[in-house]
Amino acid sequence: MLAIVGGMLALRNRRRTQVGALLVIASVGLATACSSAPSTGSGSKPTGNVNVAYASSLQYLNEKVISPAFTKAEGYKFVGTGGPSGALESEIAAGTIHPDVFESVGGDNITPLFPQFTKWYVQFAGTQMVLAYNPNSPYASQFKAFADGSEPLQGLFTLLETPGLKLGRTDPASDPQGRNFIYMLELAQSHYNLPSDTVSKILGGTPGSSSSPQIYAESALDSTLQSGQLDAASAYINQAVELHLDYIKLPSAINLGDASMAEQYKTATVTIIPQGGTATTKKGSPQVIDITIIGKPTKAALAFVKYTLSKAGLALYKAGGFSLPPLTATGTTTAIPAAISSELGT
Amino acid sequence: MPPRGRWRGSGPAVVPPGVRPVSAAASIAGAAVIWVALLGPVITLLTHLSGHAIASALTYPGALDPLVTSLEAGAVTLAVLFGVCTPLAWMLARGRLPFPRVWEAGVLCSLLLPPLVVGLLLAFMVGPYTAIGGLLGHLHLSATNTFLALVIAEVYESAPYYVVGAQAAFSAVDPRLEQQAELLGDRPRRVFRRVTLPLASPGLATALAIAWARAMGAFGAVIIIAYHPYGLPLQIYTTLDQTGLPTALPYALVLLVVALPLPLAAYVWSARAQGRRRG
Repeated sequence: MLAIVGGMLALRNRRRTQVGALLVIASVGLATACSSAPSTGSGSKPTGNVNVAYASSLQYLNEKVISPAFTKAEGYKFVGTGGPSGALESEIAAGTIHPDVFESVGGDNITPLFPQFTKWYVQFAGTQMVLAYNPNSPYASQFKAFADGSEPLQGLFTLLETPGLKLGRTDPASDPQGRNFIYMLELAQSHYNLPSDTVSKILGGTPGSSSSPQIYAESALDSTLQSGQLDAASAYINQAVELHLDYIKLPSAINLGDASMAEQYKTATVTIIPQGGTATTKKGSPQVIDITIIGKPTKAALAFVKYTLSKAGLALYKAGGFSLPPLTATGTTTAIPAAISSELGT
Repeated sequence: MPPRGRWRGSGPAVVPPGVRPVSAAASIAGAAVIWVALLGPVITLLTHLSGHAIASALTYPGALDPLVTSLEAGAVTLAVLFGVCTPLAWMLARGRLPFPRVWEAGVLCSLLLPPLVVGLLLAFMVGPYTAIGGLLGHLHLSATNTFLALVIAEVYESAPYYVVGAQAAFSAVDPRLEQQAELLGDRPRRVFRRVTLPLASPGLATALAIAWARAMGAFGAVIIIAYHPYGLPLQIYTTLDQTGLPTALPYALVLLVVALPLPLAAYVWSARAQGRRRG
């Protein structure tokens, strides 16, 4: 406003007029940039946005598959924010993000939000750990033999100890997948009766350490494997399917994908030391996907959760490589909105 | 009041008393609004920090290692840019290269590529299974998740800014002065050292300051090929992931405090040098 007045008063001075005009344009530009335009739409379907915070491993499915299908079916526009489940939970708790819906790998990232942000969640899909590999790697023929079952799988873990083999994984301190890969190795060491130093030899150091040349940002790991610069990398089966990666499937005793083996998975532990935080020991758990609504349910949020839990939504998850365990509600189930309860059959 | 020299408006020559001071004050106020708006993130940062949060974030073991890594990588990056890119910028400025627009377009291409994409392409270029990566492997070096990788990422993120800035600095030097030095018998290398470089140095300092800021804040390419060792931007990112926003924000302040003095000093020195030249 002051800039507008300034610009008007300087009308008689050409140079100052130019400066004033620039100030006006810049002010208006900034004001426009700072304001959010309301969404508009046409047709009979409802309009508006649903803001979804989701675990990074759901990024491809949400952005490329669910988003267009949901908008086509329900009319609302999908606006997503991907990130590690734990970090999203922290940001929701701190009030730095305000999603309508939260999709997390594991309910332990939702329960800390009870009861202020939500009182319930629904488990609706599952994934499992696999080992993705580079088909042009010098070790590709060996990986392929493990993948097609022509070689016993326990030899895979001896191969991963090979000096010079380039293995990629994510940071166990910040990314659940980084921890899950370590749990999987620990379970494999026990399951196949491998020597007790197998895990540390494969990881090239202390399991929970964040400082390792094997560690990549989650967003960089798959691209580095695809660019041919790694021999093998940790992955969830849905990522491997979505990105058309070659991968070795692992038995349910070690792949963290079987909800009935939760007690066995718990025996795998890793101690992490977050930056600026205290050492924490984490335990393995089945890799289930949970969904909840944050805060007061909006119509768009209800429509999104209902769609995700519908036959059509779950079919998209199945096509993306996810398993579909029975829908299970946790927390104060009476707080679940009726529109969603109907999908649960309750 | 008679019209002053800089008053070239087409309207009446006489300005009513008080209008020009009001106009000037309004313009300053408008500029201040924009300046404060641009500084919005910095102001927000300062309002969300507490002494306790800063102290606890900076005192845990190894908290300042990423700062040292950033400073070392930034210093090496500047040395590489000055040594390698300065001659290129001079040749571009003096039109010593055939098809100059092609060369300039090349620099602009690397400026336009998003840093994240630069990082992805660097993985193809210098990864362990590439020709360059293989060569580095023979020397027991690696350009993935090492200090060398961090420097490479910072060089690629900041070099285009330096080349464009340095080219402008050399272009501002009057070529007749160089020609006169040559006529007086100086060899080209001596002319460059004794005439061109000193005259372009204020502009070069500004270009280096911008490159330094880019290097210190480099993130997109760094996160792809140099997740380790952590510099300050990755420390902010990983701390945010691991322990949340309150622990991560103090490192943003560290980044500002550490990265600011050099470009600020360069700007001050550059302005004074140009002032002396004009004065």
